[in-house]
Amino acid sequence: MIPYLIHLFILIGVYYILALSLQVSMGFTGLLNLAQIAFFAIGAYTSALLTLAGVPFLLSFVLAGVLALISGFLLSLPLNKLKGDYLAVVTIGFTFIVYAITLNWIELTRGPLGIPGIPKPDIFGYVFNSNESYLVLVTIIAIVIWIFVRAVVRSPFGRTLEAVRDDELATKMLGKDTKKIKAISMMMAAFLAGLAGSLYAHYITFIDPSSFALMQIVPIISIVIIGGLASLPGTLLATIILILLPEPMRFIGFPSSIVGPMRQILYAVILLAVLLYRPKGFWGKVELE
Amino acid sequence: MFLQLLFNSLIAAAIYALVAAGLSLIYSTCRFIHFAHGSVVAAGGYFLYFFYSLLGVNFWISVVLAILSGAGLGWLINEFIYRPLRQRKASNTILLVASISVLIIIESLLLISFGADVKVIDFLVNSRGIVIAGAVIMPLQVAIIVVAILLFLLLRLFLKFSKMGQAMRAVSDNKDVAEIVGISSEKVYSQTFVLGSAIASLAGILIAMEQNLEPSMGTILIIKGFTSAIVGGMGTILGSAIGALTLGVAENFGIWYLPSGYKDAIAFVILFLFLLVRPSGILGIKSSFKN
Repeated sequence: MIPYLIHLFILIGVYYILALSLQVSMGFTGLLNLAQIAFFAIGAYTSALLTLAGVPFLLSFVLAGVLALISGFLLSLPLNKLKGDYLAVVTIGFTFIVYAITLNWIELTRGPLGIPGIPKPDIFGYVFNSNESYLVLVTIIAIVIWIFVRAVVRSPFGRTLEAVRDDELATKMLGKDTKKIKAISMMMAAFLAGLAGSLYAHYITFIDPSSFALMQIVPIISIVIIGGLASLPGTLLATIILILLPEPMRFIGFPSSIVGPMRQILYAVILLAVLLYRPKGFWGKVELE
Repeated sequence: MFLQLLFNSLIAAAIYALVAAGLSLIYSTCRFIHFAHGSVVAAGGYFLYFFYSLLGVNFWISVVLAILSGAGLGWLINEFIYRPLRQRKASNTILLVASISVLIIIESLLLISFGADVKVIDFLVNSRGIVIAGAVIMPLQVAIIVVAILLFLLLRLFLKFSKMGQAMRAVSDNKDVAEIVGISSEKVYSQTFVLGSAIASLAGILIAMEQNLEPSMGTILIIKGFTSAIVGGMGTILGSAIGALTLGVAENFGIWYLPSGYKDAIAFVILFLFLLVRPSGILGIKSSFKN
């Protein structure tokens, strides 16, 4: 039982970081950025390939975030031209392109065969072999990231982000370079998602394109919307609830071929229910616009 | 070789055009991207499988039943999900997110009900291909192209001359003025969903017969249908056709040079490029539904 719980809490940690990244771009800046899964994938593959090539974990971890950040920058370039649902569709398209690359660039990613045998993190000689130690690692990193995001959000920059979300035109009129602000927000979100991807890759030790399909964004969006846009405590609570909620299904006795899609249905239904009945989520400041 | 690629492009284009037409129709009246349309296409194919292969109903009756079921599904989605959201003044971004959820729910339900394995419809399986100047085309594929062309013509006539069609055009052009003139926009939305989903089911049926069925086909198809609609010009019937043709050609001629695994990626890249550079599409029409 305990190892199972440890596994769940590691996942909670990873998804929490991913949800925070979406919260930064969607909750605070109002960008309907559905590309987090793409950045997650880029981070995962980067970290996996680098460590397999012998690069030390800490460096790979950081580079995973950096590479994701660069992709975030590239994606942010067309931001000004697009708004609302067109932005959403472009980010979806970006997710698909990254997915197609992981599937087809076989020389680099081994395509559908995936990358097995990803080494456990080795920090200054200590190897995080056991799940317990990995949980400690993930928790520490998650806390550090939470402190960082909280600091950003409470800073004047954070207020500017929310201003861009609430009324971009007014913010521009006040002299703020909204294009740059949105780009920074996007890059930050991408960086965090890349870090989460690295943690994911080194935990599961095997990654393949199927973990990064478009559908995987639904749990993340659900977490952010249910927890409430622009609410950090809400994000944590929602992550815990949404990761733990489908688990009882394993014990009810559904065959494993059904558990997977049932989980997806559960997340999608919850998302719909929240959109219909409580669009602000638990502690959201604003509704999804 | 060139002729074979051309044939393949036309067949693909016919299918994408059918998907894009329904999507475009719904977008032009309801003003949001109904992502779940792809799953209605998949459902249409699975309905045919259900009636014909599982229940053993006569093929043509199964086709009719499948189209009706698909149209009904579309109506249900609108009635119980989009309409309540609209009543809560949801923005079209929320509707987009909701439609992604619906897509996932329907696809997961298909997965649970029918299993992940690929299904085949055994009708018209043993047919000989027609050979024209070294290129082969199957009778079924010719039928698909013919059906697509016929459908587009019928749709155009419907929109131009029928009262319901004109009401749809009115609402897509200017909803408020249409309401002033006495057209119920909610009723038009319902009708649009029924019509669009019927076309989607038809597309699903044709795909099921020409290729095969798998639960995740909806996601890929909606991306390709959406790409076709954007490339041609979202909100026009002709645009769907032009966009589909462009995409079909790009895909099939593209994999002449690239490894065939990149076929789907071509669609995504084209979509990405057009959204960035020319979101209004080839025909350059932005919002209202024109003939």
